Amino acid sequence: MQNIELPLVLFTVLSQAAVGMALLLAVRSCGCAGGACATTPTIAGTGENAPGSRTEWLTATIVMGVALLASLFHLGHPEGAVRTMAHLEKAWLSREILAFGAFAALLAVAALTGKAGAGLRAAAALVGLVALYTSGMTYAPPAMPAVHNAAPLGFFLLSALLLGASFGSWFAGEGSQPMLRAVLLGSLAAALAVYVIVPCVWASGGTVMQMTARAWLASPLYWARLVLGIIVPLVVMIRSPRIPRWMGPLVLLGELAGRAVFFGATVHAAMNLGAPY
Amino acid sequence: MTTQKTSLPRQRAFLVDVERCIGCFTCAMACKNYYHQETGVVWRQLYPLDEAIYPHRERAFFSLACNHCENPACLNACPVKAYEKREDGVVVHHQDRCIGCGNCIRSCPYGAPRYNPVLKKAEKCSLCHERLDAGKQPACVQSCPVRALRLVDIAALSTTDAANAVQYPAGYPEMPQVNPSTRFIMPRTPRVVRR
Ligand code: SF4
Ligand code: SF4
Repeated sequence: MQNIELPLVLFTVLSQAAVGMALLLAVRSCGCAGGACATTPTIAGTGENAPGSRTEWLTATIVMGVALLASLFHLGHPEGAVRTMAHLEKAWLSREILAFGAFAALLAVAALTGKAGAGLRAAAALVGLVALYTSGMTYAPPAMPAVHNAAPLGFFLLSALLLGASFGSWFAGEGSQPMLRAVLLGSLAAALAVYVIVPCVWASGGTVMQMTARAWLASPLYWARLVLGIIVPLVVMIRSPRIPRWMGPLVLLGELAGRAVFFGATVHAAMNLGAPY
Repeated sequence: MTTQKTSLPRQRAFLVDVERCIGCFTCAMACKNYYHQETGVVWRQLYPLDEAIYPHRERAFFSLACNHCENPACLNACPVKAYEKREDGVVVHHQDRCIGCGNCIRSCPYGAPRYNPVLKKAEKCSLCHERLDAGKQPACVQSCPVRALRLVDIAALSTTDAANAVQYPAGYPEMPQVNPSTRFIMPRTPRVVRR
């Protein structure tokens, strides 16, 4: 196994948790328009009966802040981080930093003002999704045939939904709980299918893809993630009428283990130079 | 074994004559000696061909460094513009601009950029561009005792080289989107002599 790139594991998983929270906050506010959140607490000072307490926005902001902080530890020279937006015309990494910077700023405005109107909620969700897309492109380099495709984007979107629903349930009113449960249940089922099928597809691909499939399946972290991060939560959610509070930390641990496999076990094309591809 | 042409007016490149190469590592040592790379950091490396590709008792090798690609994955991935593609096709890494994010290392399909753990920055073969500008040959090309490495311009290859050169031999990833400039002359099957 290569280096698991811990700072990148933390940056991607935590930033996706923040995107998932913002996304489901926006979805919840759509539900509120139909009166589904009648029991949702009002936003302090606004009297507006919309989802998203100040604490929830603050939590998402802190999670995103920790993600950005963790990303600095990935750099050999963190003092040069300010220059990472110098190549917006070509480098997905530059675009990723810009998009997540804008997303963090929107979260911070919502948290500081405590007045996240419909426009701000929609903007945070939209910019979060754009940022997620830039991550999906950044971590799909041509050098890694197994993930030089839409797989990273799919993985990241699933992470956002799993984490957003699990942690969102901590803050949501009773009216939104069934919707969050449905999102979590659906994402867990999709994650189970994706994380079982994708290595099988790789196993039938070219040599480097096959090496990646073997490396993933040989990793204890892959199995820990599959069992503790997907199967156990899925079984619990099938039986439980609402998301238990401990679901967030459990899913987070699963996502961290899964991301460590993504960064540590995905095989680089150069590993096979001189042998058949 | 398709060959993709270059659309550039000029593209300096390595021509690796695998038939001539005896696997002596002199090119890799010359590079290391000239640039004094840190322990474990290599810009030019020899890769023995797998028996599935070259099934003979005699061994064959690919001597590889950066391929100075037409559409470099390293350059496209670098967030701080530390890479430059010169007019002669050489892809130069400007280490003073690098912040050590490792994105070029993850992105290059040929493993050319390496991480320097002392400087905490990436580095790679820049085709001895200062030597080229002074009218000299790259250190590896100059050192090879059997002339297995040559510096060519693939926008103006001789007819013989163009006829013999291969861009994507077995054992080397086919990446048309980056269009690597290195070309190979493949080894002949050894003649079996009955005793
Ligand atoms: S071989 Fe790699 S480092 Fe060299 S130019 Fe191509 S992509 Fe860049
Ligand atoms: S390691 Fe340096 S050269 Fe490579 S992408 Fe990052 S900043 Fe650019």
